[in-house]
Amino acid sequence: MKTLVFLEHHEGAVQKGALGVLAKAASVGDAHGVVIGSGVRDVVAAAGTTVWVADDARLEAPLPQPRVDVIAKLVRDEGYDTVLFAQSVLAADVAAGLAVRLGAGLNWGLVDFDGTKGSAPQLQDTVVVDVGWTSPVRIGVFRAGSLDATALSGSTELRDATVELEEFSTLAEMVEQAHAEQQGPSIEDADVIVAGGRGLGEPANFALCEELAKALGGAVAATRAVVDAGWYPYAAQVGQTGKTVAPKLYVAVGISGAIQHKVGMQGSGVIVAINKDANAPIFEFADLGVVGDLHAIVPKLTELVRARRGS
Amino acid sequence: MSVRPADYPAPWSASDAIAPPTDPVDERIDVGVAIVGAGPAGLAAAIRLGQLMEEDPATAERLGEVPVAVLEKGKAPGSHLLSGAVVNPRALQVLFRGRKRVDEMPFAGMVHGESVLFLTKRRAIPIPTPPTMVNDRNFVVSLSQLGRWLSEEAESLGATVLPETAATQLLVDGGRVVGVRTGDRGRGRGGEEQANFEPGSDIAARVTILAEGTQGTLTSAALSRFGLASEQPQVWALGVKEVWRVAKPLDRVIHTMGWPLRAGKKYREFGGSFIYPVGDDMVTIGMVVGLDYRDAALSVHDLLQELKTHPSVRRILDGGERLQWGAKTIPEGGFVALPKRFHAPGLLLCGDGVGLVNVPALKGIHYAVESGRLAAEAAWKSFARGASSRESLASYDESLRKSWLWNDLREVRNMRQAFGRGFYVGGALASAMTVTKGNFPPRDLPTERDAEQSLISTSRASSYPAADGKLTFDKLSSVFASGNRTRDDQPNHIRIAKRVPREVAELWTNMCPAHVYEVPDGAVGADGLVEVQIAPSNCVQCGAITAKGGRLTPPEGGSGPEYTLT
Repeated sequence: MKTLVFLEHHEGAVQKGALGVLAKAASVGDAHGVVIGSGVRDVVAAAGTTVWVADDARLEAPLPQPRVDVIAKLVRDEGYDTVLFAQSVLAADVAAGLAVRLGAGLNWGLVDFDGTKGSAPQLQDTVVVDVGWTSPVRIGVFRAGSLDATALSGSTELRDATVELEEFSTLAEMVEQAHAEQQGPSIEDADVIVAGGRGLGEPANFALCEELAKALGGAVAATRAVVDAGWYPYAAQVGQTGKTVAPKLYVAVGISGAIQHKVGMQGSGVIVAINKDANAPIFEFADLGVVGDLHAIVPKLTELVRARRGS
Repeated sequence: MSVRPADYPAPWSASDAIAPPTDPVDERIDVGVAIVGAGPAGLAAAIRLGQLMEEDPATAERLGEVPVAVLEKGKAPGSHLLSGAVVNPRALQVLFRGRKRVDEMPFAGMVHGESVLFLTKRRAIPIPTPPTMVNDRNFVVSLSQLGRWLSEEAESLGATVLPETAATQLLVDGGRVVGVRTGDRGRGRGGEEQANFEPGSDIAARVTILAEGTQGTLTSAALSRFGLASEQPQVWALGVKEVWRVAKPLDRVIHTMGWPLRAGKKYREFGGSFIYPVGDDMVTIGMVVGLDYRDAALSVHDLLQELKTHPSVRRILDGGERLQWGAKTIPEGGFVALPKRFHAPGLLLCGDGVGLVNVPALKGIHYAVESGRLAAEAAWKSFARGASSRESLASYDESLRKSWLWNDLREVRNMRQAFGRGFYVGGALASAMTVTKGNFPPRDLPTERDAEQSLISTSRASSYPAADGKLTFDKLSSVFASGNRTRDDQPNHIRIAKRVPREVAELWTNMCPAHVYEVPDGAVGADGLVEVQIAPSNCVQCGAITAKGGRLTPPEGGSGPEYTLT
């Protein structure tokens, strides 16, 4: 098996999710990466394996079709039989385009891969099914936050990929790219998440979560109920109809733990719940539960973390 | 002072769901027949049209590239279909005569035995099966599965089924229905266009068949616009049901009356439960309560949870696991609430949308199928060369009135109304009606609107069992078990009065099985009213809110539950 992993980059660094996929692929066979863009040699300086670099001014904008051209050519010329992606808007477009171009099967929402078959949760994560491919080239898209980005220990070898773009691939141009304003890491990338729910009582109390997240170097997430109520932006929503996250530490503040929330964060490393209701369902799956008044506990916790970290 | 939900009406009127065509002629989508709703009525219509197209290709040719389009708001055909259900196969046998046998239809099994039980808190007393409820030679079915099967049959006969497509407006031009408009997709919470915005389209049709099911928005608008509605108002019941995998097979269908409903006249609690075997390893269990009830604390979802704790019910579910959950309203007005006419220029109305339900028999699927088949034949007549569209569509009314379903409904026409007088008096009146085949009483009993019942408040809610996650469940985890994963940041599709008395807010909160409404803490304003908080993406589109003063409209296509077993 010879796998190529699409290393999506953003602001000079490869996305954590893509590195997770690379590590997974390397654990079950030969795995190389490909980074595509303009002025991108530096972003993969320490990838720990062979990485193809397609560096071209025409690849500046994050448009899918030129990337399909680059990857399709590598698959044909270098004999890769598997191409893997970490879920993102761009990765979804590239994977779908590549599947059509190569007549390859595409499996979506993977959380694991053993070299021949993948695992994908289905029916709203109530079952995990094995998925396979019948096509010679196999394409897979991993669910965000499903893998740890352990660094590869091999030597990094950068190889230049030839960039030959199809005429129809250059017809689209990027008019505008908008980013949600945010400080600190995004919730998909953060190692620590402090999430707030209705138990906060009022929007202003999100400051408690923000302070704690800052002290821990993490990001702030929110439940659907508080996003619905307009207390926090939709981009921060974790759960069935929001984002799926798997940080090392998930601190749930004033969150009851409805199943709709649980399915978005149950893959987290350590789950800490702070809630005044001892019967809240969150305590059934939290690793550590604190029954008490979050208004007293969270500021104290923030203070202790700061003291411990000496800041 | 007595509070009635009807005094706080939803900001909605029929004209919101009616519009002239606006797309330029070369951009609109032309179809022969537009059918709204991929349920038993709409799909039966599509199937019958497909059969007629096979028999008469020359006429089919004239209907254009898309002779029959079925618009379905759910994610897939069947996603929004939920019923008991024990189905009388009669109408399906007629529809598929010479094409499919009953044993080729996706039934879970024939009814081999039945019991009717009167429940008290601890006991279950068998009572004789009322004649209207006898289910000999009927079949248990998952309506969702039947819908998927019918949808495949319709497609194989040339119909185009369009899932994730909500019909949001009836297109009316010069007093004639000329099609429907589909809903926009990709709007944000405030109605703003998001990156994936796609505007809806005008679907221009020679004949439009509304088969929207219970609480259809366009049906309701059409009844009002064309003056078709009965003098007697439509009323509804709310059914909440679960599908379980069970350890041991159930050998018969069971209906219960009595507990956990209260018999007193002041409560107006009419309903009961059903427990049906679905093959050897599944059971479906549901609770149905008329929405003319008065107690603001009543929650059909929680009554179902309570029912499952009854010793003789728990025994059936022991060692089992809940697989799915869902809710839907059932029109219960019966014969007297049927529209005066079932057609308007360019338009035919079918199924649950117009209330073709036999309440004492607990059946409506076969009427939906039969009405869909008859509507298709009337539409087809209008396509013949030189045919008068008006006369052809009017022939649908005649066929309905000549059909066996009309006689069925007439015989039981006052039974539901009788139960407004309490369980025992209602039961006695219903017996008299059965014996006289509907000729008693000589004058029809009046129906009162569900939303016009004045509210009472009791401590009923305090006796609902706590959710244990094994036998009993809370509303939110149940919404999850409906498969609902509606996009949260879309415009609110539920119209309710913004500020209402606390009793009305509590009524909606308790009534809604999907935890859409919430009474805010404290916060009674200077006007003595509260503002209800709502979470529209929880909605499973059961329609109860429309019966009790609000208005459910179709959300973005593809939203709502994704039923597969219900």
